[in-house]
Order: sequence, then structure tokens, then C-alpha cells
Amino acid sequence: MADDKDVLRDVWFGRIPTCFTLNPDEVTEREAEAYYLLLPRVSYLPVVTDKVKKHFLKVMRAEDVEEMWFEYEGTPLKWHYPIGVLFDLHASNTVLPWNITVHFKNFPDQDLLHCPSNSIVEAHFMSSIKEADALKHKSQVVNDMQKKDHKQLWMGLQNDKFDQFWAMNRKLMEYPTEDGGFRYIPFRIYQTLSDRPFIQKLFRPVSPDCNAHTLGDLLKEMYPDALTNDGEQKRYQVLIHGIEPLLETPLQWLSEHLSHPDNFLHICVVPVPTD
Amino acid sequence: MDPGGASRRSSRSAETWRGHIIQQLKHRDRIQSAMFQDLIRFYTGLLEKTSMTKGLLSSSGRPPAEGCARSSLQQLKKTTGELAYKVVELQQQIKIKERVLQELQTRLQKEGGRLAEASEAKRALGDEVEQVRQKNKTLKAAYDALLQRQREAESKLREEKEKEERVLEDMMHQKKQAAARMNHRNERRSRARQATVQKQLQTAARSKVIVDSSSSAPTSRSTSPKPEDQDKSGGRGATRLFRSASASSPRFFSSIREMFEKRRGHSVRSLEEDLLFPVGICLSARVPVRPLQVLEAHEQGINAVRFSFGSDLLATGGTDRVIKLWDVRAGSLTHRATLDGSTEGITCVEFDHMGRRILAASHNKSALLWRLDDSVPKVTLTGHSRKVTAARFTCVPHQVVTGSTDRTVRLWDLNRAACVQQGEVASFCSDLVCSDSSIISGHFDCKIRVWDSRTVNCVQELPSQGRVTSLDLSSDRRQLLSCCRDDCLQLLDLRWTNDRMCFRADGFKCGGDSTKAVISPDGCYLAAGSTDGAVYIWNVSTGGLEARLPDQHSSSITAVSWSLSGEHFVSVDRSRRAVLWSDI
Repeated sequence: MADDKDVLRDVWFGRIPTCFTLNPDEVTEREAEAYYLLLPRVSYLPVVTDKVKKHFLKVMRAEDVEEMWFEYEGTPLKWHYPIGVLFDLHASNTVLPWNITVHFKNFPDQDLLHCPSNSIVEAHFMSSIKEADALKHKSQVVNDMQKKDHKQLWMGLQNDKFDQFWAMNRKLMEYPTEDGGFRYIPFRIYQTLSDRPFIQKLFRPVSPDCNAHTLGDLLKEMYPDALTNDGEQKRYQVLIHGIEPLLETPLQWLSEHLSHPDNFLHICVVPVPTD
Repeated sequence: MDPGGASRRSSRSAETWRGHIIQQLKHRDRIQSAMFQDLIRFYTGLLEKTSMTKGLLSSSGRPPAEGCARSSLQQLKKTTGELAYKVVELQQQIKIKERVLQELQTRLQKEGGRLAEASEAKRALGDEVEQVRQKNKTLKAAYDALLQRQREAESKLREEKEKEERVLEDMMHQKKQAAARMNHRNERRSRARQATVQKQLQTAARSKVIVDSSSSAPTSRSTSPKPEDQDKSGGRGATRLFRSASASSPRFFSSIREMFEKRRGHSVRSLEEDLLFPVGICLSARVPVRPLQVLEAHEQGINAVRFSFGSDLLATGGTDRVIKLWDVRAGSLTHRATLDGSTEGITCVEFDHMGRRILAASHNKSALLWRLDDSVPKVTLTGHSRKVTAARFTCVPHQVVTGSTDRTVRLWDLNRAACVQQGEVASFCSDLVCSDSSIISGHFDCKIRVWDSRTVNCVQELPSQGRVTSLDLSSDRRQLLSCCRDDCLQLLDLRWTNDRMCFRADGFKCGGDSTKAVISPDGCYLAAGSTDGAVYIWNVSTGGLEARLPDQHSSSITAVSWSLSGEHFVSVDRSRRAVLWSDI
């Protein structure tokens, strides 16, 4: 449907206005100016922050530069999460632009993974796709694809080419009609205050009695606290790509249209702001 | 719940949650990105511009504190240095280019030279071509002219051929006419004969002939053949009344005669003839002193002259193709008959022993035999390939020997008129004589050959002084006279052939290849005619010239003949003159 196509486009071209500020503790030759940038929601930090690095390297001496890392309000931002997920999780209801602090020293090895080059990001991305397809199609589709097709997926994401990406990705979104959906829905539920990084379990899109599962069914199953019981105030927001879809949205549809490029449905559950 | 209702419901609800999601996304974009998009775009643009200008400024003014003038001076110096360098470079390039240009020009000149040469060569070749074409034209013209000539020659050839055909036709026509005339004449003669025969028959029938039984004696047979002949001729005439065959066929006569003869008639006849052989003995020959008669005997030159054995007939033959018979009576020659039938000149004449027949050798490669009273030849002996120089009766009856310039000597049988035998000789035979069993011939190769008359083999060869022109046998058959071309007469004894006598005389020159010399009937004298028109007579016993008779002939004498009685002597010459001499 044309509406679905629009949904896909809107999901892909989602942007977050960001202001990168250099950590004042960094030794600079000159006053470092902030750098503003529109970050794509579906991409990853190391891929899109080359200009940031270049901007800040202008004012720094070469010997003071180590691996760049970002943090927001004290929290180091994990580069292997999609940017949109990071924003929804940490700064969804804050004032825009999103202020990120850029660090060049004191890399937090406990919290962050090292990312020396983009090929690391590519490897992570491809492994996510394969994991998602393993859940959806028992890895049949992704294994049938050739290496150039995998490359095409990554290049589409890296260069922000919607058509190039979806030319391949639609294969991953197909399912045999008699099944009614994927085998299992690939999803991750992120929580702000929790030990676990995310919730990921097996969940079928269709019930045994051929009913389509909805988002509410998923939450009821996986994280019932996120749901609002009757008579209670709403405590949590369920964000996907920065929006709150209705709880009766079919999960299969959600997985097809609101997945990230890595074919996972990243769901953020954040507390409702109190002010 | 039914699936259809569920789907309907789900579709209705799908609208709501889908629309909700779309709405939510639009809202998010509006808030989050749309407001900041333009701003950040302009920001990045500005950032870039500032960095660019910063870069420009930093590159141009470094260090800005040390004075822009010096930096600009330095800059100018640099630019001038660069420009000078560029000038030098450009000059070098110009030099290179000029060199290249020169090279190209020299090449162009060379090519121009070559082009001129080539055009020269082309012109020369063009001229050659023209010359060759001219030559061709002339050749062709010459060829055409030749062709024209050839055609004309061919047409001329054709015309000549036609003319030749016409001439041939004319000739044949004339010959036919001559033959017709001859036939006509023969017919007339035959008719005349017939008439006479009839008259004779009539007279004979009227007159009574007393035939006594004693006429069977051989000695009186001399008269009997006449009536026999007459009967024969009568019979012949009778048969001839019923047969209108060609009158001039001799074989016809002989065949008719055979019909009337008895079978034994041949041998009987020959016996007769043998016995009738008149053995004329001359008591003495008289040397002729003066001419009795001079006459123009023939129309053309006379080649041969002969007295008959009976001394009363003279036969002369010559180039005018006829033999004239003369009666010798009372010291004069009277023309008796003319025998024609030869198509070419007569070379030699001989009477047979009986005096009834004349044998002549002719230029037309044949020998002819006449009966004296018949002007048409009875027998023609053809077979020689060239002219017959001599023809003689042999001692064998009915046999004739001929010698010819075709280097053969042939023996003929008169009854069959065919050549019985033939002897090849190496040289022309100019004359022949016959003795009892041998034939003697004289030849151009200065040899006299003796032949055996039966087998016609050359038995003996006798050398002679020069080319033999004529031969003559003496009456006793012992002496042979040969006249040679080197003006000498040779007398041979046939038995002792080494015994030879040679006779010469001043002024005696042998005139031609067939000049005849004779021995006198008594064997005492030799006579020959010379080119100066005089008759020379030698004495055999003395060996010297006995008499010389000039002034009667104006040209060279071809033949002489002595009468058997010794009284008369005839000489004939090339200018048709015959002179009768005697000593009276």
C-alpha cells in the first residue's frame, strides 16, 4: 500500500537535530565551537560523525587525540545502538537539539566497545540482520542472498540510500502466506532503569488460533508493567522510532514496517515525564 | 468469530492504528527535524564558508604581522621568475618547432623533385607509347597492303586456272577435231579402198585367173602373195563392210588377218620372208661426184634418209612428221607417197628386207610401222618414256628393236605390238644396228654395247672415241662404223675388236647428236655429212679422205645414204634439202 511506503520512508528519513560540544576538559589550542548536525535515526554514531571529528580535530593537537566517544549527561552512548534508539531512550522528552558531549580521552572501556573503523560497524550490522532473519525465516533468506546483496544492504545504510537498501530488504520482509507471518518476531525492548540491556525473547506473530498478535500482546507477555491497567495513570511510554503506536497495532505489521534497518523492532519503554 | 468479520474488523482497526502511526510520525518529524533542518543547513554552509575564507586568509597572509608588502614583493618576484622560466621554455619550444618546420620543408622539396622526375618519366613513357602505336599502325597498313595483294594474286590465280581449263578444253577440242578429221580421212580412204577392192573384185570376178598347181613351189611364191593379199584384203574389205570400227587400228588388221590364216600360217610366212630375204650384193660402190638433183624434200628439216633394199625407193623423214617415199628413176627423185601418222618428228627410217614396210622411230616416244601402200601406220609401238632415236628390224621376223633416250633398248613383237623385252642401259642410246644374233647400240657415254638379241643382255662393251652419234654395219656384217661427236669416224672389226681405224678430216665436223655416217655397200668407202654442208668420203683401205662434195647444202648435213646398187647417193640436211648424187 502507498501508505505503507510512506511509513517506510518516514521511518528511514527520520532525523534528530544534535549539538556536539567538546568536553571542556579536553586540551584545545583554541576555543572549540559547538557543531550542529542532523543525525539519521536509523544509522549508527561512528558512521555519521566524521564531520564532527574533523571539526573538533581542527582545534586539537594531534597527540591529544585518542578514540572519539560520546556521552549524554554522563551516560556514554553505546555506538552499536541505532541513534534513534539512543535518543528515545535517553533524551526523548528533552529540549531539542540533543546535546552530546564529545570526548577524545579517557575512553570508558567498561561501558563502551571500541570502534576503530566502520568495518566493525558493518560487521555488527550484518550480524544483527542475520540474527533477525534467523528468527524470521530460520536464516533461509539471508543465506540465500549473495555477498553483494549483503554489501548492498550495508552500503544503502551507510550512504543513506533508501531505494538501494529496500531493494534487498524487502526480501527479508517476505513470508510464506500460509504462515501468516514470520516465524518469530525479532524485537528488543529497552528499559531505562534495569540491569538487563534489553528484553529479547521468542514470540510468534500469530496465535495458535490464527489471531494476529498485537503490540499489547507482546508487552503483556514480555513487560506487563509497561501496560497501563484500567483506572491507572499512564506510567510508561512505549516508543518506537520516537512515536507511540496504538497497542492494537499488529505485531507482524510493526515488524515489517517499523523495524530498523537491522530488521529488529527496537522498543523503548521510558517513564512518562512528570512535569 | 468468523475470519471474515475479524478481517473486516481488523481492517477497520488497521485503518485506525495505521493512521495513528502515520500521524505520529508526521508529528515527530515536524517537531524534531523540520524545525532544525533549514537552520542546520545554513549553519553548515556558513561553517564551510568561514573555513574556506579562513583557509584563504591563512594561505595568503602568513605571517600577517610581518608586513604585506614584503610578502607581495616576494610574490611578485616569484611570479616574474616563473614568467621568465616560462619565456625560456617557450623559446625552446619555438626553436624545436622551427627545426621541425625546416625538416618538413626539405622533405617537401625532395618530394617535389621526385614528383618532377616521375612526371618526366611518365612523359617519356607516353612518347614511347605513341611511337609504338605509330609502328603498329604502319605494320597494320603494310599487313593490309599484303593482304590486298594476296587477294589479288589469288583472284589472278583463279583466272589463270580458268584460262588453263579453257586452253585445255580448246586443245582437247582441237585434238578431237584432228581425230575427227583423221577418222574422216581414214573413212574416205577406206571407202576409196573399198571401192577399189570392189572394182578389183568385180574385175577379178569377171577375169579368169588360171592358178596352176605348180604355184605351190616356194620360188614362185613371190608373185602369189599378191592375189592372196588381195583376197585377204578383199576379205578384209568384206568384213569391213559390216564393221565400222576405227580404220586406224592396226591391231584390228592383224586380228582380221589372223582369222583368215591357217594355223600354221605364221611359220610358213616367216619361212617365206626368210627365203625372200633379198641378199643384195653390191659389186662396187661408186663415189658420187656431182649432184643429180637438188630438191626441197620436206617442209622442215630432214633427219633421216634411207634407200630401200631394192634400190628403187628412197624414204626421207624429218621434223615435219611425215615420211616421203621417192621413186628413184632415171637419175631423179619422184615423189611417190607420203606416210603420216606420226605426231612428232621422225628420227630414223628403215625399210624392211622385203621393201614392203617402213619402220620409223619418232620423237613421240613410239616407233611406227607402215605398209608401203598404206599411208596410215599399221603398228605403233609405244612404251618408251622418251624419244626413240633408232628403230630397226631384227633378224628375227616380226621383231623390232628400238633404242631411246630413256636409256632402254626394247625388243618388240610386231604381231602383238608389244614390248617383249627391255634392256636397261646407263646412257642414251643414239643408234642401233642389228646383226645376225646381236644388237649393237651406240651410246652417249662413248660406249658401244653389244647385246644378245634373245635375252637382251649386254654381252660386250666397246669403247669409242667420243659420243656415238650413229652406227652402221657393213654388208658383210663384219665392220662397224661409228660416228662420234668429236668429229671422228671409227671403223671396228667386230671379230677382232682391237682392230680399229679412225678417220678424220679437216673441216669435218659432226653436226649433231644424230648425224649419220654410212659405209658404202661394198665396204670400201665411208661417207658422212658435215656441218659445213659438204659430204666427206673416205677410203677405207687408204684411211684418207677420198672426196669432198661441197656447195650443195647450205646447212649441216644430217644423214646420208648410199643406194645398194652403189649408183646413187643421197644426202639430206637441216634446211629441208635433199641432194641426189651420182658419179655419172
